[in-house]
Amino acid sequence: MAVGAAQVGAKAGLNGRVRGGLKRVLGPDHRMGYLFVTPIFFFVLSLVGYPFCYAIYLSMTHKLVGLPPVFVGFENYVRLTWDGFFQRAVVNSFIFTFGSVGFKLVLGVVMALVLMSPIRWRSFWTGVLLIPWVAPTVVSALNFLWIFDGSLGVLNYLLVRVFHVLPQGIGWLSEPGTAMASVVAVNIWRGFPFFGISFLAAMKAIPAELYEAAAVDGATTLQRFRHVTLPGIRNIMIIVVLLSTIWTFNDFQIVYILTKGGPGGTTMVMPVLTYETAFGAQRLGEAIAVALYLLPVLAVTIMVLARYMRRGRKR
Amino acid sequence: MSLTSRTQTTLAYAVLVTLAVLVLFPFYWMTITSFKSEDQMRSLLSMFWPRPIVIENYGQLLSKTDFVAWYGNSATVAICSTLLATAVGTIGAYALARLRFLGRGFLASATLITYLVPPSILFIPLYAQMRNLGLANSLAGLIAAYPSFTVPFVTWLLMGYFESIPEELEEAAMIDGATRFGAFARVVLPLAAPGVLAAALYAFTQAWNEFLYALVFITDGRLRTLPVGLASFITGDVYGWGYLMAGAVLTTLPVIAAYIYLQKYMVEGLTAGGVKG
Repeated sequence: MAVGAAQVGAKAGLNGRVRGGLKRVLGPDHRMGYLFVTPIFFFVLSLVGYPFCYAIYLSMTHKLVGLPPVFVGFENYVRLTWDGFFQRAVVNSFIFTFGSVGFKLVLGVVMALVLMSPIRWRSFWTGVLLIPWVAPTVVSALNFLWIFDGSLGVLNYLLVRVFHVLPQGIGWLSEPGTAMASVVAVNIWRGFPFFGISFLAAMKAIPAELYEAAAVDGATTLQRFRHVTLPGIRNIMIIVVLLSTIWTFNDFQIVYILTKGGPGGTTMVMPVLTYETAFGAQRLGEAIAVALYLLPVLAVTIMVLARYMRRGRKR
Repeated sequence: MSLTSRTQTTLAYAVLVTLAVLVLFPFYWMTITSFKSEDQMRSLLSMFWPRPIVIENYGQLLSKTDFVAWYGNSATVAICSTLLATAVGTIGAYALARLRFLGRGFLASATLITYLVPPSILFIPLYAQMRNLGLANSLAGLIAAYPSFTVPFVTWLLMGYFESIPEELEEAAMIDGATRFGAFARVVLPLAAPGVLAAALYAFTQAWNEFLYALVFITDGRLRTLPVGLASFITGDVYGWGYLMAGAVLTTLPVIAAYIYLQKYMVEGLTAGGVKG
Protein backbone atom coordinates (compact mmCIF):
# COMPACT_ATOMS: atom_id res chain seq x y z
CA MET A 1 0.00 0.00 0.00
CA ALA A 2 2.79 2.44 0.93
CA VAL A 3 4.46 1.68 -2.39
CA GLY A 4 1.19 2.38 -4.19
CA ALA A 5 0.87 5.75 -2.49
CA ALA A 6 4.43 6.73 -3.47
CA GLN A 7 3.82 5.78 -7.10
CA VAL A 8 0.67 7.83 -7.28
CA GLY A 9 2.55 10.77 -5.76
CA ALA A 10 5.44 10.53 -8.25
CA LYS A 11 3.17 10.27 -11.27
CA ALA A 12 0.77 13.06 -10.55
CA GLY A 13 3.20 15.74 -9.40
CA LEU A 14 2.16 18.42 -6.92
CA ASN A 15 -1.49 17.47 -6.78
CA GLY A 16 -0.46 13.87 -6.14
CA ARG A 17 2.01 14.88 -3.44
CA VAL A 18 -0.76 16.64 -1.53
CA ARG A 19 -2.88 13.54 -1.87
CA GLY A 20 0.04 11.39 -0.70
CA GLY A 21 0.32 13.60 2.40
CA LEU A 22 -3.37 13.22 3.03
CA LYS A 23 -2.96 9.49 2.72
CA ARG A 24 -0.25 9.53 5.33
CA VAL A 25 -2.37 11.51 7.79
CA LEU A 26 -5.77 9.97 7.14
CA GLY A 27 -4.58 6.45 6.37
CA PRO A 28 -4.18 4.54 3.10
CA ASP A 29 -7.87 3.55 2.77
CA HIS A 30 -9.40 6.78 4.01
CA ARG A 31 -11.62 7.47 0.98
CA MET A 32 -13.49 4.18 0.99
CA GLY A 33 -13.24 4.07 4.78
CA TYR A 34 -14.98 7.38 5.36
CA LEU A 35 -17.51 6.65 2.66
CA PHE A 36 -18.41 3.35 4.31
CA VAL A 37 -18.64 4.61 7.88
CA THR A 38 -20.57 7.80 7.11
CA PRO A 39 -23.99 6.13 7.47
CA ILE A 40 -23.04 4.53 10.81
CA PHE A 41 -21.64 7.82 11.98
CA PHE A 42 -24.88 9.54 11.03
CA PHE A 43 -27.07 6.99 12.84
CA VAL A 44 -24.92 6.84 15.96
CA LEU A 45 -24.82 10.62 16.21
CA SER A 46 -28.46 11.36 15.43
CA LEU A 47 -30.11 8.42 17.20
CA VAL A 48 -27.89 7.96 20.23
CA GLY A 49 -25.34 10.78 20.62
CA TYR A 50 -27.68 13.73 20.20
CA PRO A 51 -30.66 12.25 22.13
CA PHE A 52 -28.31 11.32 24.94
CA CYS A 53 -27.01 14.90 25.28
CA TYR A 54 -30.55 16.24 24.95
CA ALA A 55 -31.61 13.85 27.73
CA ILE A 56 -28.95 15.24 30.05
CA TYR A 57 -30.15 18.76 29.31
CA LEU A 58 -33.84 17.87 29.77
CA SER A 59 -33.11 16.19 33.10
CA MET A 60 -32.03 19.62 34.36
CA THR A 61 -35.29 21.29 33.40
CA HIS A 62 -38.90 21.41 34.40
CA LYS A 63 -40.49 20.11 31.23
CA LEU A 64 -44.18 19.50 30.89
CA VAL A 65 -45.54 17.90 27.74
CA GLY A 66 -46.27 20.59 25.16
CA LEU A 67 -44.51 23.41 27.05
CA PRO A 68 -40.94 24.68 26.60
CA PRO A 69 -38.41 23.43 29.17
CA VAL A 70 -37.35 25.69 32.07
CA PHE A 71 -33.77 25.22 33.24
CA VAL A 72 -33.50 24.34 36.95
CA GLY A 73 -30.03 22.82 37.31
CA PHE A 74 -29.83 19.76 39.53
CA GLU A 75 -33.18 20.34 41.22
CA ASN A 76 -34.79 17.18 39.80
CA TYR A 77 -31.92 15.03 41.04
CA VAL A 78 -31.93 16.62 44.49
CA ARG A 79 -35.68 16.18 44.82
CA LEU A 80 -35.50 12.53 43.74
CA THR A 81 -32.76 11.81 46.28
CA TRP A 82 -35.19 12.50 49.13
CA ASP A 83 -38.25 10.98 47.46
CA GLY A 84 -39.20 7.78 49.28
CA PHE A 85 -40.96 6.26 46.28
CA PHE A 86 -37.92 6.81 44.08
CA GLN A 87 -35.62 5.37 46.75
CA ARG A 88 -37.74 2.24 46.82
CA ALA A 89 -37.58 1.98 43.04
CA VAL A 90 -33.78 2.10 43.21
CA VAL A 91 -33.71 -0.66 45.83
CA ASN A 92 -36.23 -2.70 43.81
CA SER A 93 -34.13 -2.30 40.67
CA PHE A 94 -31.09 -3.68 42.45
CA ILE A 95 -33.04 -6.62 43.90
CA PHE A 96 -34.58 -7.34 40.49
CA THR A 97 -31.21 -7.11 38.73
CA PHE A 98 -28.97 -9.02 41.09
CA GLY A 99 -31.60 -11.64 41.87
CA SER A 100 -32.06 -12.28 38.15
CA VAL A 101 -28.42 -12.13 37.10
CA GLY A 102 -27.30 -14.44 39.94
CA PHE A 103 -29.73 -17.19 38.96
CA LYS A 104 -29.10 -16.70 35.25
CA LEU A 105 -25.39 -17.18 35.87
CA VAL A 106 -25.90 -20.46 37.75
CA LEU A 107 -28.47 -21.79 35.26
CA GLY A 108 -26.28 -20.71 32.35
CA VAL A 109 -23.32 -22.68 33.67
CA VAL A 110 -25.57 -25.71 34.24
CA MET A 111 -26.99 -25.41 30.71
CA ALA A 112 -23.52 -25.17 29.15
CA LEU A 113 -22.24 -28.13 31.20
CA VAL A 114 -25.08 -30.44 30.20
CA LEU A 115 -24.74 -29.42 26.57
CA MET A 116 -21.01 -30.22 26.75
CA SER A 117 -21.62 -33.75 28.07
CA PRO A 118 -21.81 -36.66 25.63
CA ILE A 119 -25.49 -36.47 24.65
CA ARG A 120 -27.40 -37.24 21.48
CA TRP A 121 -29.06 -34.52 19.37
CA ARG A 122 -26.95 -31.78 20.90
CA SER A 123 -27.99 -29.14 18.39
CA PHE A 124 -31.65 -30.05 18.92
CA TRP A 125 -31.35 -29.52 22.69
CA THR A 126 -29.38 -26.31 22.17
CA GLY A 127 -32.09 -25.07 19.83
CA VAL A 128 -34.89 -25.85 22.27
CA LEU A 129 -33.17 -24.20 25.22
CA LEU A 130 -32.53 -21.02 23.21
CA ILE A 131 -36.20 -20.46 22.39
CA PRO A 132 -36.95 -18.05 25.28
CA TRP A 133 -34.14 -15.85 24.02
CA VAL A 134 -35.52 -15.52 20.47
CA ALA A 135 -39.25 -15.45 21.24
CA PRO A 136 -40.79 -11.97 21.57
CA THR A 137 -40.45 -10.87 25.20
CA VAL A 138 -43.92 -9.38 25.22
CA VAL A 139 -45.38 -12.75 24.24
CA SER A 140 -43.45 -14.49 27.01
CA ALA A 141 -44.53 -11.89 29.55
CA LEU A 142 -48.17 -12.29 28.49
CA ASN A 143 -47.84 -16.08 28.73
CA PHE A 144 -46.63 -15.78 32.29
CA LEU A 145 -49.31 -13.24 33.13
CA TRP A 146 -51.81 -15.95 32.20
CA ILE A 147 -49.89 -18.77 33.89
CA PHE A 148 -49.61 -16.74 37.14
CA ASP A 149 -53.29 -15.69 37.05
CA GLY A 150 -54.75 -15.94 40.56
CA SER A 151 -58.04 -17.65 39.76
CA LEU A 152 -57.69 -19.42 36.41
CA GLY A 153 -53.91 -19.68 36.12
CA VAL A 154 -52.32 -23.05 35.51
CA LEU A 155 -49.61 -22.58 38.14
CA ASN A 156 -52.15 -22.52 40.93
CA TYR A 157 -54.02 -25.41 39.29
CA LEU A 158 -50.85 -27.51 39.28
CA LEU A 159 -49.82 -26.63 42.83
CA VAL A 160 -53.27 -26.94 44.40
CA ARG A 161 -55.17 -29.60 42.43
CA VAL A 162 -52.50 -31.74 40.80
CA PHE A 163 -49.58 -31.81 43.23
CA HIS A 164 -51.45 -30.70 46.40
CA VAL A 165 -48.52 -28.57 47.53
CA LEU A 166 -50.66 -25.55 48.40
CA PRO A 167 -54.03 -25.56 50.18
CA GLN A 168 -55.28 -22.69 47.99
CA GLY A 169 -54.19 -20.56 45.08
CA ILE A 170 -51.89 -17.54 45.35
CA GLY A 171 -52.25 -14.27 43.46
CA TRP A 172 -48.63 -14.49 42.36
CA LEU A 173 -48.48 -11.04 40.82
CA SER A 174 -51.05 -9.30 42.99
CA GLU A 175 -49.66 -10.12 46.43
CA PRO A 176 -46.72 -8.06 47.73
CA GLY A 177 -44.98 -11.15 49.08
CA THR A 178 -44.69 -12.99 45.76
CA ALA A 179 -44.80 -10.28 43.07
CA MET A 180 -41.07 -9.51 43.00
CA ALA A 181 -40.06 -13.17 43.02
CA SER A 182 -42.48 -13.81 40.14
CA VAL A 183 -41.15 -11.06 37.87
CA VAL A 184 -37.58 -12.11 38.68
CA ALA A 185 -38.47 -15.69 37.74
CA VAL A 186 -39.75 -14.56 34.34
CA ASN A 187 -36.61 -12.52 33.73
CA ILE A 188 -34.45 -15.53 34.61
CA TRP A 189 -36.51 -17.75 32.32
CA ARG A 190 -36.01 -15.36 29.42
CA GLY A 191 -32.35 -14.55 30.01
CA PHE A 192 -30.56 -17.73 31.08
CA PRO A 193 -30.23 -19.23 27.55
CA PHE A 194 -27.96 -16.35 26.51
CA PHE A 195 -25.65 -17.15 29.42
CA GLY A 196 -25.74 -20.84 28.54
CA ILE A 197 -24.97 -20.44 24.84
CA SER A 198 -22.14 -18.00 25.53
CA PHE A 199 -20.55 -20.27 28.13
CA LEU A 200 -20.98 -23.24 25.80
CA ALA A 201 -19.00 -21.44 23.09
CA ALA A 202 -16.26 -20.62 25.59
CA MET A 203 -16.14 -24.20 26.93
CA LYS A 204 -15.83 -25.59 23.41
CA ALA A 205 -12.76 -23.40 22.93
CA ILE A 206 -10.92 -24.94 25.91
CA PRO A 207 -8.28 -27.34 24.51
CA ALA A 208 -9.07 -31.00 25.23
CA GLU A 209 -5.43 -31.57 26.26
CA LEU A 210 -6.03 -29.50 29.37
CA TYR A 211 -8.75 -31.91 30.51
CA GLU A 212 -6.64 -34.91 29.59
CA ALA A 213 -3.68 -33.55 31.52
CA ALA A 214 -5.90 -32.91 34.53
CA ALA A 215 -7.30 -36.43 34.30
CA VAL A 216 -3.77 -37.89 34.14
CA ASP A 217 -2.92 -35.94 37.28
CA GLY A 218 -5.89 -37.61 38.97
CA ALA A 219 -8.17 -34.56 39.18
CA THR A 220 -11.78 -35.26 40.19
CA THR A 221 -14.75 -33.98 38.17
CA LEU A 222 -15.16 -31.07 40.55
CA GLN A 223 -11.46 -30.21 40.47
CA ARG A 224 -11.45 -30.25 36.67
CA PHE A 225 -14.42 -27.90 36.68
CA ARG A 226 -12.76 -25.53 39.14
CA HIS A 227 -9.27 -25.51 37.69
CA VAL A 228 -9.85 -26.02 33.96
CA THR A 229 -13.42 -25.07 33.01
CA LEU A 230 -13.93 -22.01 35.19
CA PRO A 231 -10.65 -20.27 34.28
CA GLY A 232 -11.37 -21.06 30.62
CA ILE A 233 -14.72 -19.26 30.63
CA ARG A 234 -13.77 -16.50 33.09
CA ASN A 235 -13.54 -13.70 30.52
CA ILE A 236 -16.83 -14.55 28.87
CA MET A 237 -18.44 -14.82 32.29
CA ILE A 238 -17.38 -11.26 33.11
CA ILE A 239 -18.67 -9.98 29.77
CA VAL A 240 -22.00 -11.81 29.96
CA VAL A 241 -22.64 -10.83 33.57
CA LEU A 242 -21.94 -7.15 32.87
CA LEU A 243 -23.99 -7.22 29.67
CA SER A 244 -26.91 -8.88 31.41
CA THR A 245 -26.64 -6.50 34.37
CA ILE A 246 -27.10 -3.53 32.03
CA TRP A 247 -29.96 -5.21 30.14
CA THR A 248 -31.75 -6.42 33.28
CA PHE A 249 -31.39 -3.12 35.10
CA ASN A 250 -33.03 -1.43 32.13
CA ASP A 251 -35.62 -4.09 31.41
CA PHE A 252 -38.99 -2.47 30.94
CA GLN A 253 -41.33 -4.89 29.21
CA ILE A 254 -41.45 -7.76 31.68
CA VAL A 255 -42.29 -5.67 34.73
CA TYR A 256 -44.54 -3.31 32.76
CA ILE A 257 -46.65 -6.14 31.39
CA LEU A 258 -46.75 -8.30 34.50
CA THR A 259 -47.32 -5.76 37.30
CA LYS A 260 -46.82 -2.17 36.05
CA GLY A 261 -44.75 -1.79 39.24
CA GLY A 262 -47.52 -2.94 41.59
CA PRO A 263 -48.89 -4.10 43.93
CA GLY A 264 -48.29 -0.94 45.97
CA GLY A 265 -44.94 -0.24 44.32
CA THR A 266 -43.36 -3.54 45.42
CA THR A 267 -42.05 -4.23 41.91
CA MET A 268 -41.60 -0.62 40.78
CA VAL A 269 -38.23 -0.55 39.02
CA MET A 270 -36.52 2.50 37.57
CA PRO A 271 -37.42 2.07 33.85
CA VAL A 272 -41.11 1.63 34.68
CA LEU A 273 -40.98 4.64 37.00
CA THR A 274 -39.37 6.64 34.17
CA TYR A 275 -42.21 5.70 31.86
CA GLU A 276 -44.92 6.40 34.45
CA THR A 277 -43.40 9.78 35.38
CA ALA A 278 -43.16 10.77 31.72
CA PHE A 279 -46.45 9.53 30.32
CA GLY A 280 -48.58 9.10 33.43
CA ALA A 281 -47.59 12.21 35.39
CA GLN A 282 -46.40 14.06 32.22
CA ARG A 283 -43.29 15.37 33.98
CA LEU A 284 -40.63 14.77 31.33
CA GLY A 285 -37.67 16.48 33.02
CA GLU A 286 -38.12 14.52 36.21
CA ALA A 287 -38.70 11.30 34.25
CA ILE A 288 -35.35 11.63 32.49
CA ALA A 289 -33.68 12.43 35.80
CA VAL A 290 -35.01 9.07 37.05
CA ALA A 291 -33.52 7.34 34.01
CA LEU A 292 -30.19 9.13 34.30
CA TYR A 293 -29.86 9.09 38.09
CA LEU A 294 -27.42 6.19 38.09
CA LEU A 295 -25.64 7.31 34.92
CA PRO A 296 -22.16 7.38 36.54
CA VAL A 297 -22.56 3.74 37.54
CA LEU A 298 -23.88 2.82 34.09
CA ALA A 299 -21.07 4.71 32.37
CA VAL A 300 -18.38 2.92 34.37
CA THR A 301 -20.04 -0.45 33.71
CA ILE A 302 -20.22 0.28 29.97
CA MET A 303 -16.57 1.39 29.83
CA VAL A 304 -15.33 -1.71 31.64
CA LEU A 305 -17.55 -3.96 29.53
CA ALA A 306 -16.53 -2.32 26.24
CA ARG A 307 -12.88 -2.83 27.15
CA TYR A 308 -13.45 -6.53 27.87
CA MET A 309 -15.45 -7.01 24.68
CA ARG A 310 -12.81 -5.37 22.50
CA ARG A 311 -10.06 -7.35 24.18
CA GLY A 312 -12.03 -10.57 23.68
CA ARG A 313 -12.14 -9.75 19.96
CA LYS A 314 -8.44 -9.03 19.58
CA ARG A 315 -7.23 -12.39 20.87
CA MET B 1 -14.78 -38.60 44.11
CA SER B 2 -15.14 -38.86 40.38
CA LEU B 3 -18.54 -39.41 38.83
CA THR B 4 -18.65 -42.27 36.38
CA SER B 5 -19.40 -41.19 32.85
CA ARG B 6 -22.70 -43.08 32.86
CA THR B 7 -24.01 -41.30 35.92
CA GLN B 8 -22.88 -38.04 34.36
CA THR B 9 -24.76 -38.67 31.15
CA THR B 10 -27.91 -39.73 32.99
CA LEU B 11 -27.70 -36.60 35.11
CA ALA B 12 -27.18 -34.48 31.99
CA TYR B 13 -30.33 -35.91 30.38
CA ALA B 14 -32.34 -35.35 33.57
CA VAL B 15 -31.27 -31.70 33.69
CA LEU B 16 -31.88 -31.25 29.95
CA VAL B 17 -35.40 -32.62 30.14
CA THR B 18 -36.22 -30.45 33.18
CA LEU B 19 -34.91 -27.31 31.48
CA ALA B 20 -36.69 -28.18 28.23
CA VAL B 21 -40.01 -28.64 30.06
CA LEU B 22 -39.59 -25.29 31.84
CA VAL B 23 -38.67 -23.59 28.57
CA LEU B 24 -41.43 -25.12 26.45
CA PHE B 25 -44.31 -25.18 28.93
CA PRO B 26 -45.33 -21.50 28.46
CA PHE B 27 -45.45 -22.01 24.68
CA TYR B 28 -47.44 -25.23 25.02
CA TRP B 29 -49.79 -23.43 27.38
CA MET B 30 -50.16 -20.46 25.05
CA THR B 31 -50.97 -22.75 22.12
CA ILE B 32 -53.59 -24.91 23.85
CA THR B 33 -55.20 -21.86 25.45
CA SER B 34 -55.66 -20.37 22.00
CA PHE B 35 -57.76 -23.45 21.07
CA LYS B 36 -59.97 -23.40 24.17
CA SER B 37 -63.40 -21.86 24.50
CA GLU B 38 -64.20 -19.34 27.22
CA ASP B 39 -66.24 -22.05 29.04
CA GLN B 40 -63.38 -24.52 29.03
CA MET B 41 -61.13 -21.92 30.63
CA ARG B 42 -63.63 -20.76 33.24
CA SER B 43 -64.61 -24.26 34.32
CA LEU B 44 -60.99 -25.50 34.56
CA LEU B 45 -62.09 -28.53 32.52
CA SER B 46 -59.97 -30.25 29.88
CA MET B 47 -57.07 -28.36 31.37
CA PHE B 48 -54.09 -29.77 29.48
CA TRP B 49 -55.69 -30.61 26.15
CA PRO B 50 -58.69 -28.70 24.78
CA ARG B 51 -61.74 -30.95 24.21
CA PRO B 52 -63.19 -30.00 21.82
CA ILE B 53 -60.59 -27.96 19.98
CA VAL B 54 -62.17 -24.64 19.01
CA ILE B 55 -60.86 -22.09 16.54
CA GLU B 56 -63.28 -19.28 17.34
CA ASN B 57 -60.50 -17.36 19.11
CA TYR B 58 -58.62 -17.03 15.85
CA GLY B 59 -61.75 -15.99 14.02
CA GLN B 60 -62.51 -13.32 16.60
CA LEU B 61 -58.92 -12.10 16.61
CA LEU B 62 -58.80 -11.69 12.85
CA SER B 63 -62.26 -10.22 12.37
CA LYS B 64 -63.00 -8.17 15.49
CA THR B 65 -59.63 -6.62 16.34
CA ASP B 66 -56.98 -4.66 14.45
CA PHE B 67 -54.66 -7.66 14.59
CA VAL B 68 -54.26 -7.96 10.81
CA ALA B 69 -53.33 -4.28 10.55
CA TRP B 70 -50.81 -4.71 13.39
CA TYR B 71 -49.29 -7.67 11.60
CA GLY B 72 -48.77 -5.55 8.52
CA ASN B 73 -47.31 -2.72 10.60
CA SER B 74 -44.86 -5.02 12.35
CA ALA B 75 -43.79 -6.60 9.07
CA THR B 76 -43.30 -3.21 7.41
CA VAL B 77 -41.29 -1.78 10.29
CA ALA B 78 -39.19 -4.91 10.86
CA ILE B 79 -38.38 -5.48 7.17
CA CYS B 80 -37.53 -1.84 6.40
CA SER B 81 -35.37 -1.36 9.48
CA THR B 82 -33.63 -4.71 8.90
CA LEU B 83 -32.72 -3.83 5.32
CA LEU B 84 -31.48 -0.43 6.42
CA ALA B 85 -29.44 -1.77 9.34
CA THR B 86 -27.96 -4.62 7.35
CA ALA B 87 -26.83 -2.39 4.49
CA VAL B 88 -25.39 0.29 6.76
CA GLY B 89 -23.91 -2.22 9.19
CA THR B 90 -22.27 -4.40 6.53
CA ILE B 91 -20.25 -1.68 4.82
CA GLY B 92 -19.54 0.03 8.13
CA ALA B 93 -18.33 -3.16 9.76
CA TYR B 94 -16.09 -3.90 6.80
CA ALA B 95 -14.51 -0.45 7.03
CA LEU B 96 -14.04 -0.70 10.79
CA ALA B 97 -12.64 -4.22 10.62
CA ARG B 98 -10.36 -3.94 7.62
CA LEU B 99 -9.73 -0.48 6.17
CA ARG B 100 -6.99 1.75 7.54
CA PHE B 101 -8.02 5.33 8.16
CA LEU B 102 -7.76 7.95 10.86
CA GLY B 103 -10.41 7.62 13.59
CA ARG B 104 -11.25 3.99 12.94
CA GLY B 105 -10.50 2.81 16.49
CA PHE B 106 -12.47 5.66 17.98
CA LEU B 107 -15.49 4.96 15.78
CA ALA B 108 -15.36 1.24 16.52
CA SER B 109 -15.43 1.98 20.26
CA ALA B 110 -18.20 4.52 19.81
CA THR B 111 -20.31 1.96 17.94
CA LEU B 112 -19.83 -0.62 20.65
CA ILE B 113 -20.67 1.86 23.41
CA THR B 114 -23.76 2.91 21.47
CA TYR B 115 -24.87 -0.72 21.38
CA LEU B 116 -24.65 -0.77 25.19
CA VAL B 117 -26.63 2.43 25.87
CA PRO B 118 -30.06 1.20 27.05
CA PRO B 119 -33.29 2.33 25.34
CA SER B 120 -34.73 3.26 28.74
CA ILE B 121 -32.63 6.44 28.76
CA LEU B 122 -33.14 7.22 25.08
CA PHE B 123 -36.86 6.79 24.57
CA ILE B 124 -37.98 10.20 25.83
CA PRO B 125 -35.46 12.35 23.91
CA LEU B 126 -35.96 10.18 20.81
CA TYR B 127 -39.70 10.67 21.10
CA ALA B 128 -39.18 14.44 21.36
CA GLN B 129 -36.91 14.31 18.31
CA MET B 130 -39.44 12.32 16.27
CA ARG B 131 -42.18 14.75 17.21
CA ASN B 132 -40.07 17.68 16.05
CA LEU B 133 -39.47 15.90 12.75
CA GLY B 134 -43.19 15.21 12.41
CA LEU B 135 -42.57 11.46 12.61
CA ALA B 136 -44.35 10.77 15.92
CA ASN B 137 -47.33 8.42 15.63
CA SER B 138 -46.14 7.01 12.30
CA LEU B 139 -44.44 3.81 11.19
CA ALA B 140 -41.76 5.97 9.56
CA GLY B 141 -40.83 7.20 13.05
CA LEU B 142 -40.24 3.62 14.20
CA ILE B 143 -38.29 2.76 11.06
CA ALA B 144 -36.15 5.82 11.72
CA ALA B 145 -35.64 4.99 15.41
CA TYR B 146 -34.92 1.26 15.27
CA PRO B 147 -31.45 1.69 13.72
CA SER B 148 -30.46 3.11 17.14
CA PHE B 149 -30.13 -0.50 18.32
CA THR B 150 -30.01 -2.56 15.10
CA VAL B 151 -27.15 -0.66 13.42
CA PRO B 152 -24.65 -0.91 16.31
CA PHE B 153 -25.60 -4.55 16.86
CA VAL B 154 -25.22 -5.58 13.22
CA THR B 155 -21.97 -3.62 12.93
CA TRP B 156 -20.46 -5.16 16.03
CA LEU B 157 -21.50 -8.66 15.00
CA LEU B 158 -20.16 -8.34 11.46
CA MET B 159 -16.89 -6.71 12.53
CA GLY B 160 -16.05 -9.99 14.21
CA TYR B 161 -17.11 -11.87 11.10
CA PHE B 162 -14.97 -9.80 8.72
CA GLU B 163 -11.98 -10.05 11.05
CA SER B 164 -12.21 -13.84 10.83
CA ILE B 165 -11.90 -13.79 7.01
CA PRO B 166 -8.20 -14.03 6.02
CA GLU B 167 -6.86 -10.72 4.74
CA GLU B 168 -4.66 -12.54 2.19
CA LEU B 169 -7.72 -13.29 0.04
CA GLU B 170 -8.31 -9.60 -0.59
CA GLU B 171 -4.64 -8.91 -1.10
CA ALA B 172 -4.48 -11.67 -3.71
CA ALA B 173 -7.50 -10.21 -5.49
CA MET B 174 -5.91 -6.76 -5.50
CA ILE B 175 -2.63 -8.09 -6.84
CA ASP B 176 -4.70 -9.61 -9.65
CA GLY B 177 -5.91 -6.12 -10.44
CA ALA B 178 -9.11 -5.76 -8.42
CA THR B 179 -9.76 -2.43 -6.73
CA ARG B 180 -10.26 -2.27 -2.98
CA PHE B 181 -13.99 -2.01 -3.60
CA GLY B 182 -13.91 -4.88 -6.08
CA ALA B 183 -12.12 -7.06 -3.56
CA PHE B 184 -14.78 -6.23 -0.99
CA ALA B 185 -17.74 -6.79 -3.30
CA ARG B 186 -16.54 -9.92 -5.12
CA VAL B 187 -14.33 -11.69 -2.59
CA VAL B 188 -15.21 -10.71 0.96
CA LEU B 189 -18.95 -10.16 0.70
CA PRO B 190 -19.79 -13.63 -0.71
CA LEU B 191 -17.67 -15.22 2.04
CA ALA B 192 -19.43 -13.15 4.67
CA ALA B 193 -22.91 -14.01 3.39
CA PRO B 194 -23.79 -16.42 6.25
CA GLY B 195 -22.73 -13.80 8.79
CA VAL B 196 -24.72 -11.09 7.03
CA LEU B 197 -27.75 -13.40 6.98
CA ALA B 198 -27.43 -14.12 10.71
CA ALA B 199 -27.04 -10.43 11.46
CA ALA B 200 -30.08 -9.58 9.35
CA LEU B 201 -32.15 -12.22 11.12
CA TYR B 202 -31.17 -10.89 14.50
CA ALA B 203 -31.94 -7.35 13.45
CA PHE B 204 -35.32 -8.56 12.20
CA THR B 205 -36.04 -10.37 15.46
CA GLN B 206 -35.07 -7.35 17.52
CA ALA B 207 -37.23 -5.02 15.44
CA TRP B 208 -40.16 -7.50 15.44
CA ASN B 209 -39.96 -7.85 19.23
CA GLU B 210 -39.35 -4.19 20.11
CA PHE B 211 -41.81 -2.80 22.62
CA LEU B 212 -40.81 0.43 24.37
CA TYR B 213 -40.36 2.77 21.39
CA ALA B 214 -43.48 1.39 19.71
CA LEU B 215 -45.47 1.89 22.92
CA VAL B 216 -44.33 5.48 23.31
CA PHE B 217 -44.23 6.72 19.71
CA ILE B 218 -47.54 5.32 18.45
CA THR B 219 -50.80 6.70 19.77
CA ASP B 220 -53.16 5.63 16.98
CA GLY B 221 -54.63 2.18 17.75
CA ARG B 222 -54.45 0.94 14.17
CA LEU B 223 -50.80 1.95 13.78
CA ARG B 224 -49.63 -0.24 16.66
CA THR B 225 -47.08 -2.98 16.14
CA LEU B 226 -47.83 -6.54 17.29
CA PRO B 227 -46.18 -6.45 20.74
CA VAL B 228 -47.91 -3.22 21.70
CA GLY B 229 -51.18 -4.35 20.15
CA LEU B 230 -51.12 -7.63 22.08
CA ALA B 231 -50.29 -5.84 25.32
CA SER B 232 -53.20 -3.46 24.70
CA PHE B 233 -55.58 -6.45 25.01
CA ILE B 234 -54.87 -6.67 28.74
CA THR B 235 -55.98 -3.11 29.38
CA GLY B 236 -58.68 -2.76 26.74
CA ASP B 237 -62.36 -3.22 27.37
CA VAL B 238 -62.59 -6.39 25.28
CA TYR B 239 -60.70 -8.91 27.31
CA GLY B 240 -60.16 -12.60 26.77
CA TRP B 241 -57.27 -14.96 27.21
CA GLY B 242 -58.38 -17.07 24.27
CA TYR B 243 -57.80 -14.57 21.51
CA LEU B 244 -54.93 -12.92 23.36
CA MET B 245 -53.12 -16.26 23.26
CA ALA B 246 -54.17 -16.78 19.62
CA GLY B 247 -52.49 -13.46 18.88
CA ALA B 248 -49.44 -14.52 20.87
CA VAL B 249 -49.16 -17.72 18.81
CA LEU B 250 -49.35 -15.83 15.52
CA THR B 251 -46.82 -13.25 16.74
CA THR B 252 -44.31 -15.90 17.79
CA LEU B 253 -44.62 -18.02 14.64
CA PRO B 254 -42.48 -16.04 12.16
CA VAL B 255 -39.66 -15.60 14.64
CA ILE B 256 -39.60 -19.25 15.67
CA ALA B 257 -39.97 -20.43 12.07
CA ALA B 258 -37.01 -18.33 10.94
CA TYR B 259 -35.08 -19.53 13.95
CA ILE B 260 -35.72 -23.25 13.37
CA TYR B 261 -34.90 -22.92 9.70
CA LEU B 262 -31.66 -21.03 10.28
CA GLN B 263 -30.71 -22.18 13.75
CA LYS B 264 -27.14 -23.01 12.82
CA TYR B 265 -26.36 -19.54 11.51
CA MET B 266 -28.14 -17.80 14.33
CA VAL B 267 -26.41 -19.75 17.09
CA GLU B 268 -23.05 -19.12 15.45
CA GLY B 269 -23.91 -15.48 14.92
CA LEU B 270 -24.96 -15.05 18.52
CA THR B 271 -21.78 -16.53 19.91
CA ALA B 272 -19.63 -14.60 17.46
CA GLY B 273 -21.39 -11.31 17.93
CA GLY B 274 -22.50 -10.97 21.52
CA VAL B 275 -19.26 -12.20 22.90
CA LYS B 276 -16.29 -13.97 21.51
CA GLY B 277 -13.46 -15.18 23.67
